[in-house]
Amino acid sequence: MTVFLATMYRAMHAQAQVQVQVPTQTNLKVLVGGQHRPDIFRELLKDYEAANPGVKVTLESGGATSELLQRYLNTVLTARDSSLDAFLIDVVRPAQYAAAKWAEPIDPYLGNEREAFLSRYLPLYRAANTIDGKTISLPAFSDAMYLYYRKDLLEKVGEKPPTTWPELARIAKKVMAQEKDPNLQGLSFQAKAIEGTVCTFLLPYWSMGGEVVKDGKLQFDRQKAEAGLAMWRQMVSDGVSKANVSEVGTDDTRKEFQAGRVVFGVLWGYGWNLFQSGADSRVKGKVGVVKLPAMPGGESVSCMGGWSWAVSAFSRNKAETVKLVRWLSSPEVAKQLAIRGSMQPVFPDVFTDPDVLRVNPWLADALPVVETARPRPVTPMYRPISDALRLNTNAVMAGARKPDAALDEIEHRIKRALR
Amino acid sequence: MNDHQIPTPQRSLFDRLADMNETTLAVLLLAPAFIFISIIVVYPVATLVWNSFNDVRLLTGAPSRWVGLENYLLLLADAQFWRATKNTMIIVLVTVPGSLVVGLGLALLANMPFKWRGPIRLSLLLPWATPLAFVGLIFAWFFHSEYGVFNDLLRRLGLAPQIWFNSPTLTMMAICIATIWKTSSFMALILLAGLQTIPKSLYEAADVDGASKWRQFTDITLPLLVPSMLVALIFRTLTAIQSFDIPYSMPGPGEETQTLAMYIHMNAVDYLDLGYSSALAVVMFGLSMATTFIYLRYVKADGK
Repeated sequence: MTVFLATMYRAMHAQAQVQVQVPTQTNLKVLVGGQHRPDIFRELLKDYEAANPGVKVTLESGGATSELLQRYLNTVLTARDSSLDAFLIDVVRPAQYAAAKWAEPIDPYLGNEREAFLSRYLPLYRAANTIDGKTISLPAFSDAMYLYYRKDLLEKVGEKPPTTWPELARIAKKVMAQEKDPNLQGLSFQAKAIEGTVCTFLLPYWSMGGEVVKDGKLQFDRQKAEAGLAMWRQMVSDGVSKANVSEVGTDDTRKEFQAGRVVFGVLWGYGWNLFQSGADSRVKGKVGVVKLPAMPGGESVSCMGGWSWAVSAFSRNKAETVKLVRWLSSPEVAKQLAIRGSMQPVFPDVFTDPDVLRVNPWLADALPVVETARPRPVTPMYRPISDALRLNTNAVMAGARKPDAALDEIEHRIKRALR
Repeated sequence: MNDHQIPTPQRSLFDRLADMNETTLAVLLLAPAFIFISIIVVYPVATLVWNSFNDVRLLTGAPSRWVGLENYLLLLADAQFWRATKNTMIIVLVTVPGSLVVGLGLALLANMPFKWRGPIRLSLLLPWATPLAFVGLIFAWFFHSEYGVFNDLLRRLGLAPQIWFNSPTLTMMAICIATIWKTSSFMALILLAGLQTIPKSLYEAADVDGASKWRQFTDITLPLLVPSMLVALIFRTLTAIQSFDIPYSMPGPGEETQTLAMYIHMNAVDYLDLGYSSALAVVMFGLSMATTFIYLRYVKADGK
């Protein structure tokens, strides 16, 4: 018996010594959405692993839309699961993460360099990721909605890109009359029940100066909301947009524009890369990008988009994860994301970087649009508010709900969410 | 009192069990099942009911607090709750009889003695074996306004194609068609088993008496199938009340075609409002219980 114990002891001791000699390896797991080009992130992370021996980063890709990704994270984080160390969150969510205490605030890790570090970002993006003075997440890339248009078709009818929505309708009709192509639609925008449809609702509403939530309370301007919905409905009834617009999601607009079946498209920044270099693109060299039209008498606004890196409050390797996330949110990575995936930077300098502009010449004009884009309502209760706006907009555009009833429901739902 | 103090060091477990009085034995034997059911049924249901009386909104970061009947009052004033309940009831009232009729037809077909009976029975199982969400996605494509096969059929027949998912009525129709397609095979399976228990001699006797096939069906087959039908109907109605996957993957405009289960899911998983979603779930639980009791009364009455 003693011999046995002695042998065991020696064996264990030997093993312990061996373990000391092996450098400790840190395994980190990060999550991105299916729409975030996991292929590009995977390549970039290889560079990080090479520069940081002892750190292994696994990339998981989740839901293809913002809602699906968040639904998954809701379950993981409510369960206080530590298996994910960092994740990309939509720019609308830091308030929710702060209230639920799901994200590890970054500030303590930045120490003295906090101000210098954070002041490099576009002010709008720094603000969106700061809740009650705490840095909840670090901006990964920015985004905004633009008006894409067919340069060739507008030239044919001798028109310049429109600055108001009625003007857009007029030009679209002119182009459609000229082309006589039954498959060509004037304007493609999204009214499917997706997160992007919140922006569809807000664009004309904001353009007229409307607000949704102020100081945690509903501030709803019914007349402006009604006028906004009426503008979109007019697009459909005039035949400028397709009757099935309530089935059109973000990528439907992208695909149809890319197939050459759209004169004007309301879309996020990712379209450019695919229109210009997509293998099956029929609009190469024929695409222009400008800021979105305004309501008559209103101002041109865009919907602020983009995603941020958050460190899980339940991660077991917070210091290492913060280090990784700081790198993922760095100008070097932002430059690579812009070049390889036309993802918009969050640093003013990267917007004007010659290497970036060579691939994405439109970014030169994009900066002013991004800088003046409006954030969607900032509140921990964003999700119910988003649902109230997008589901009702979708129902109105489908003709299934009267605008009056939809606006009643929007008011009722948002009030209840903010109770 | 002292009878039992005789030392018996070598008593086996069996001896001790044999000595036990009946009540103790019963408690001992039932304890594992009781503990198990407590953990996996009683505890979650009790938590659900408890939560329904509390404000448990994880998104606010605030601790949960007792609010009494507030969630239930909110529910009564919530248009979407009533809409979801109405949609759920429509699905129950349309798809339960629908799948019973189609299922009965399929069962009779599969019960007929002919050459292709084997493949027919196999294909009967296919919809039953297809996951619900797949069925929803497949039918969502069928009914798509541009790429869908249903609109293609309408065009070929010279009729106007429809934007199905723009209209709550058309979407509900599409959902019911998909649900009936999916659930009829389950009905057929149970009814087929029922058909096979009906003795052949009854039909032979009816033939001798000169009864028509229709008389045989109404006077022999149907009455003898009633017990199987009731079993199938209980299961079918309960799953219809809980309809989630198919309506979820075939969304109509806005939330017009949301079911109760979808509304619970939305409040629980998307809004993390566990108080309100628990109140909704309690209501759905009540609906299911009431349905089961009604059916069970029928079964009992039938037994007498």
